[in-house]
Amino acid sequence: MGNLRRLVLDVLKPLDPSIEELAQVLADLDGVDGVNISIYEIDRRVENAKITIEGQHLIYEDIVAVIEENGGSVHSIDEVAAGRVLIEDVDTAQD
Amino acid sequence: MRGRISPRQRLAQGLDDFREYERIAGFWEIARRALANNAFDGILTTIGVLMGSYVAGVRSSGIVIRTGIATSIAMGISGLWGAYLAESAERGRELAELEKISLTDLGSTKIARASRVAVVVVAVVDGLAPFISSLIVLMPMFFAPLLPTIIVGYALSIVVALAMLFVLGMFLGSICGRSLVSYGVRTVIAGVVCIAITFLLGGAE
Repeated sequence: MGNLRRLVLDVLKPLDPSIEELAQVLADLDGVDGVNISIYEIDRRVENAKITIEGQHLIYEDIVAVIEENGGSVHSIDEVAAGRVLIEDVDTAQD
Repeated sequence: MRGRISPRQRLAQGLDDFREYERIAGFWEIARRALANNAFDGILTTIGVLMGSYVAGVRSSGIVIRTGIATSIAMGISGLWGAYLAESAERGRELAELEKISLTDLGSTKIARASRVAVVVVAVVDGLAPFISSLIVLMPMFFAPLLPTIIVGYALSIVVALAMLFVLGMFLGSICGRSLVSYGVRTVIAGVVCIAITFLLGGAE
């Protein structure tokens, strides 16, 4: 099975633990090269985060376990890239 | 990751976890407030016990020590139990609210663990602060047989109590970044007022 290289997740998480902490624990996972978390909606107690993770060999179950351990829940997987080459989304005539 | 780690690493990991739980649950401020409030309670109540015993004519250090220890145990249990029940109810409500908002069971997450640690820390501080502070105030009474009279024991205990009130005031002053001496004097005044009223109500010897 091809190795998972990029994951973009839509996550609902509590304000604490903060995104700095969550980004660091995700970055500590084996196979992860980098993490980006951006907040696109914020509420009184929770926030919606777009979590982008890249690496050579991402383990989806471990990533979800860390997110859940920190109180978050994955609402959707918005983008996935796998294989030897990282392929970006391409604009087509239909777009 | 936590396979074979030395006790030192385990301790470091434990401290890291504790700091993380503090960041999540923010219990340090509550514990600090509980420490100041309950130590203050403990000292003033013990001043009450000492002054009550003095004006009632108790001249046996054993009686004062037993009464004082019984009072400090009661204060300790009251603090521990009360804070545990109140804090766990509050934290439980907060977690339930968060679960409702996020539509997720947070029972086995870091947030729930931080919440449980917060309850224990606040309850322990709430219980130990009055217990230990009142025992320190009673300390001179343990040496009463070595003193010329028990009156000296009473006086020393009151001096210890006032000194502790002053230190407690300085602690509060350091928290808010104001004058340490001014805060110290304010807390000592509370002790002096307590002594004066008990003395007047009980009838001076």
